[in-house]
Amino acid sequence: MTEPGSATRRATAAAGHARLLLFSTARTAVGKGALDWPVPAQGTPVRELLDELTRAHPALNAILAHSRIFHDGVPVFRLDERVRAGDELAVHPPYGGG
Amino acid sequence: MSVRLSSRPLVPSAAYRDLEDPTLGGVVLFAGRVRADPTEAGTVRALIYETHRGPALRVMEELENEVKRRFGAGRAVVWHRVGRVRVGEIAVIVGAACGHREPAFEAARYLIEQLKRTVPVWKEARARPGRPPPRPRPRRRARSTG
Repeated sequence: MTEPGSATRRATAAAGHARLLLFSTARTAVGKGALDWPVPAQGTPVRELLDELTRAHPALNAILAHSRIFHDGVPVFRLDERVRAGDELAVHPPYGGG
Repeated sequence: MSVRLSSRPLVPSAAYRDLEDPTLGGVVLFAGRVRADPTEAGTVRALIYETHRGPALRVMEELENEVKRRFGAGRAVVWHRVGRVRVGEIAVIVGAACGHREPAFEAARYLIEQLKRTVPVWKEARARPGRPPPRPRPRRRARSTG
């Protein structure tokens, strides 16, 4: 489901949507496990996309501080890498298997 | 390669079979079960496990390869349940088969500790007020005839 506020703000520039996956406490904070997030044709840096996400869902702020971010299944080490339409960005709060 | 994320029950004897190798004399298998822990909401009845499947399987495969390199394990298993796992059921199995017992113990310990730290799996407790479920009665042993 597309985020209404963000979609409106970027409606003219959006080239498509990235898929955001939210697990565990991140899912609880947002109320959904997945969001389709509008991104412009040139993509959005991970840092900027996470800023947009926390503006829309302030409860995520504290969780993101302790989370790992995965871009298309690969850990993100550089927050300036760009997320483009069709990409998947996942928020991994601290793990708790076993 | 014995890495598994499954919504079906994990069977220790099947994991043991995956560790079979006549050249490996030390086999350590660890199973972690869901406990009936007390919580503010009551006693835990089940845990709901979720995972990010692709990255989780990749990290589990890396762990398996790592114990082969670090501890000389000839075989290893890294299995985890996903979905609803009731109290008493096995949520995780790790194991290693090495030439001797010492590296096998070390490898199995390493697997479970690293799994908890590095594999994208999360759990959420489902609790209910009231007493914990009764413990199963031990089975009667067949009387020895010897």
